[in-house]
Amino acid sequence: MADIILNPYYMQIASFILINIILGISIYITLSTGLLSLGSAGFMSIGAYTSALVTMKLGFPMPLGIVSGAMVAALAGILVGIPTLRLSGVYLAIATLGFGEVIRVWFNNLEITRGALGIPGIPQMGREITGSLREFGITPDMLGLRANQFSALILFFILLILVILTVWFFVRLQRSRIGRAYAAIKADEEAAEAMGINTTYYKVLAFAQGALVAGFAGALYAHTTSFINPGDFSYHRAVEILIFAVFGGSEVIWGPIFGAAFLTLMPEVLRGLADYRFMIYGVLLIVMMAFRPQGIIDYQVLDWLKKKVKRNKSASPLDKQKGGDA
Amino acid sequence: MLTVKGLEAYYGNIRALKGIDLDVKEGSIVTIIGANGAGKTTTMKAISGLLNPRNGSIQFMGQDITGLRPDQRVSMGISLVPEGRAILSGMSVLENLEMGAYHRNDQEVKQDLENVMDRFPILRERIHQAGGTLSGGQQQMLAIARALMARPKLLLLDEPSMGLAPLIVADIFKIIQEINQEGTTVLLVEQNVKQALKIADYAYVLETGKIVTSGTADELLDDSRVVEAYLGGGHSS
Repeated sequence: MADIILNPYYMQIASFILINIILGISIYITLSTGLLSLGSAGFMSIGAYTSALVTMKLGFPMPLGIVSGAMVAALAGILVGIPTLRLSGVYLAIATLGFGEVIRVWFNNLEITRGALGIPGIPQMGREITGSLREFGITPDMLGLRANQFSALILFFILLILVILTVWFFVRLQRSRIGRAYAAIKADEEAAEAMGINTTYYKVLAFAQGALVAGFAGALYAHTTSFINPGDFSYHRAVEILIFAVFGGSEVIWGPIFGAAFLTLMPEVLRGLADYRFMIYGVLLIVMMAFRPQGIIDYQVLDWLKKKVKRNKSASPLDKQKGGDA
Repeated sequence: MLTVKGLEAYYGNIRALKGIDLDVKEGSIVTIIGANGAGKTTTMKAISGLLNPRNGSIQFMGQDITGLRPDQRVSMGISLVPEGRAILSGMSVLENLEMGAYHRNDQEVKQDLENVMDRFPILRERIHQAGGTLSGGQQQMLAIARALMARPKLLLLDEPSMGLAPLIVADIFKIIQEINQEGTTVLLVEQNVKQALKIADYAYVLETGKIVTSGTADELLDDSRVVEAYLGGGHSS
């Protein structure tokens, strides 16, 4: 049983789904102020390279490496955000896409990043933790698992916890003062300004948060695959992240989460079509724009789901009562 | 209270305001009247900070505010009710009102919320309804109520009568007068010249980016040029 479920291939897909969910959240955060940033792939690469380099060259412990990856990406987000956030709509999208390409070319030519060869042998999260647990006397065979199964499982659960924390944080944020400001700016920027919201501040904040989360995902990616090269963070990645939000929806946070999960899983399930992935993405974009521009999951779908869950919950005690009467 | 001097604003190369001087005395209602495209909204945007003028200065309560951000001006007591109301249509009435008090963190926000709902009972009835589902008149009331939530000393109203039925316009103007009597200074931009002059203490007439005449409401009502151009009166009378 364990052999089937803990198949390294399945576990890897599961890990990628979780990382892509974080990337979906990153584009959602900037979109929640009405800004379309296509810089996620660029910020992701900054997070990935930073964490890989500080852990390998400076000997940082991995958690610290991941945090620095996210922080450096956020810093880059602030630096890119301040000048570009004067732009809006398609101009901002182009500028951020350009930024992503600049970063990719830069990593492609730097010596320390070994250019197009990429960086192999990045400490892998699952293996590192398995190693540390062994020091405490916890070994894979205590659970009847092989070492690689055990480490894949550990990796999966760590990513799962991080995803849950990220989602939780941003769901809370939405209901906070900051979230209200984001929503007001998205609805009507000038009105928000007239109401006394410092729109520049909140737009830069959202942009930096998006960059932070993308950098975080990038760092996790580096320590999941243990090999990164500039090709991992190309224009295709930026488009892929955009599609998570376009397909899943960007009105509510669950949209890009669903989009990321579904679109990561789909090419694996339909293995034969994997080569046509970007073609399918393109068609999907056109179809979505034509028939459901708000994405699969919007407020209505969410309300409907909530009602359904509620009905099921309230239905069960009622059924019992009926049974008792009879 | 508010002194505007030599205000010039551009949209690209187009000079929308060609040097405007205005003076608003504390406790008064001042109106700016003029046709479409005269620069009324541009003036309001410059005063509230939504638009940066190229030249000129704006003083509020003795302080130069020309370079301040809109949110800083709101904190100082300048609130704008934008043209077209700018209700956050996806948010509820309550959320819209709360957004009006965004910069405040005092304890009296709740009390002010009660006060504006007393002033506009219809908003209390619709408090959980989405802002976008209100009628035009109700949206205008919500926009004014939202601006009041910021506790303004100077309330800027940009065409509050736009697109509203005459009866509702009369209501809105009555409310504006009440707000003024309770101590808030009002600067009102209007195309509905008759109504505006009825409640205003002083008026400026704006034409293609310039102030062509000004005076007390009574003076302007006696000015045959104003009557001809804006009140549809004239030769026959």
